Amino acid sequence: MSQSLRPYLQAVRSSLTAALALSNFASQTSERHNVPEIEAASSPELLLNPLTISRNDTERVLIEPSVNSVRISLKVKQADEIEHILVHKFTRFLTQRAESFFILRRKPIEGYDISFLVTNYHTEALLKHKLVDFILQFMEEVDKEISEMKLFLNARARFVAESFLTPFD
Amino acid sequence: MLLLDYQNVLIQSLLTERFSGAPPASIDQVVSDFDGVTFHLSTPESKTKILVSIHVKCFKELVQYGAQAVLEREYGPYIVSPEPGYDFSVQIDLENLPAEQEAREELIMKLALLKRNAMAAPFERAFDEFAELAEEASRYTSESAPQGVKEGGEVMSIHYREEEAIYIKASHDRVTVIFSTVFREETDRIFGKVFLQEFVDARRRVVTLQNAPQVLFRNTPPLELEGVPGVENASEGEMSYVTFVLFPRHLTPQRRYDSISHIQTFRDYFHYHIKASKAYIHTRMRKRTADFLQVLNRARPENEERERKTASGRTFRVQS
Amino acid sequence: MSQINYRTINIDQLDPESSVNFPMETLLPATLPQPETSSDAANVASQVRQLLRGGDAEGALRHALDTAPLGGDDRAKEVHLATVIEVLQGIRQGEMTRVLEGVCGSDGGAERADCLMKYIYKGMSSFGPSNGARSPAKSVSPQSTGGFSQIQGRNLGEGGGGQQMSVLLNWHEKLVELTGTGSIVRVMTDRRTV
Repeated sequence: MSQSLRPYLQAVRSSLTAALALSNFASQTSERHNVPEIEAASSPELLLNPLTISRNDTERVLIEPSVNSVRISLKVKQADEIEHILVHKFTRFLTQRAESFFILRRKPIEGYDISFLVTNYHTEALLKHKLVDFILQFMEEVDKEISEMKLFLNARARFVAESFLTPFD
Repeated sequence: MLLLDYQNVLIQSLLTERFSGAPPASIDQVVSDFDGVTFHLSTPESKTKILVSIHVKCFKELVQYGAQAVLEREYGPYIVSPEPGYDFSVQIDLENLPAEQEAREELIMKLALLKRNAMAAPFERAFDEFAELAEEASRYTSESAPQGVKEGGEVMSIHYREEEAIYIKASHDRVTVIFSTVFREETDRIFGKVFLQEFVDARRRVVTLQNAPQVLFRNTPPLELEGVPGVENASEGEMSYVTFVLFPRHLTPQRRYDSISHIQTFRDYFHYHIKASKAYIHTRMRKRTADFLQVLNRARPENEERERKTASGRTFRVQS
Repeated sequence: MSQINYRTINIDQLDPESSVNFPMETLLPATLPQPETSSDAANVASQVRQLLRGGDAEGALRHALDTAPLGGDDRAKEVHLATVIEVLQGIRQGEMTRVLEGVCGSDGGAERADCLMKYIYKGMSSFGPSNGARSPAKSVSPQSTGGFSQIQGRNLGEGGGGQQMSVLLNWHEKLVELTGTGSIVRVMTDRRTV
């Protein structure tokens, strides 16, 4: 693990633990509604100060807490075009399966690659520390996966190129 | 399967079966090949006479560069007038096959290579042109060479796909083959770039590939194609141009057959491996997604034992 | 007026009774310090710098946190943020825990810890978006690979700003060790932003 990765993940972990303190809160704009306030943004007093944890200018996490929901957005490192396309493909792959990833937001918020939306219903039904674990593991694995895919692609390209050129010799 | 075969495997297996002495049967089969080429195998007259027809999109251009001569050389006695809708036909009489097994196999292979041979014409012409130019150039020093010799022959273009083409140009010390290729989407373009970069680097990196053709690629038409009609302006950015520089060692009469066959497969080989990589990455992501899902599901509290027993041994369900 | 599509107007915003127009000022405590301007913040900055030069890192941090412009304007807050980050960067890693215990242990230390936590988060967020505008496709033409390899590890070089971030992340870690997640919760809920 890289030198600065551990404190980064640690900071995300403690921030998430702090942010995932949610309560049931019925909408005060429309009767009999109960919506994630962070998405509805209909009452400014219910939204809390957002937290940003950055590792550098390409990797950061935005946590937007509110009274009954938290939106967590990740920005994954993309050093070049290949990583950009891989990250894009991978996150799209995941968001298209948002149904089963019940905390995954279908569309990332602007400037980030992938967003999660955790509501009080999730924290009531699920174990909070495991949710935090999931997001942490996700952050680690995505990075690793992208690196591996990139290495694979390069290795394959190299092999393919050499194989094609060999018969000419 | 890493490298693509030069011949059409379906034709090969079909004919092998027919030639093996199986009872004659009527055939009517359309076979597709790369680059929109289609074959038609049929037995229109009698079950023993197999007609093999080929349709190539750019057949007119190929004829212009001497395809007819090449095909006549290869298939001389078998040629018949082209079947309607196709560009070139040969007919084989099963009752009149060569006697030896080897000769039969050779004939099968020859027929399976129909596409390769049709496409080979411009390459052969370029290789011949190179030989002439080289001869001529050897009579001059590099400074005093007349304009024509220095510049080399004209560019032959073969528009073998809707938007893609091969350009061939002979010079006195090389033959340049340029493939123009389109990437339909961003992912292909970037994957293609990675692959092409490796093609470019392979020669410099690997000692055993020192003698391989030089590969170059760019997103704008290379200088060789200046003034060639049909070369699109590079403003779209979808086009890539891949240049192979074949050196004299690839053009010797002993090597030319293999060189032509091999370079023809480049475009399909290249795109095939891009697709294969995409498929692999897709599988990988699917796997990874399943893993993530598993981690997320760990967050569900485990269901405690729901079944309880009363003192009398009856079971009941706790209302949740 | 005829150009406006009336259906797209958010009428809640026009209604003073609507929850969208909740008066946020009412959430601020009455004990808010006097509004400060950027010149006040600059004065504080020079005092802090003096302390820092004198080798009194703990005093510098304490002073900087005590004088946080909670009621100041954006400009003042920005100047003060730069001051705090300067102090944080000026303290060596080995000293962090000792300084933190000194600053947060004494009277009013909890306030200072919360304030420091606010600055750590602000430091990380203020940096991100401004420089975060990444060009998606830097160069279309192939980069020269020096003839060797385009394969390189992803995690070798840190991106821009990694240095400052890792300082803040280290502080964050130390501070959480000391105060627990409570101070993070207070950063989220405290309307007195820094």
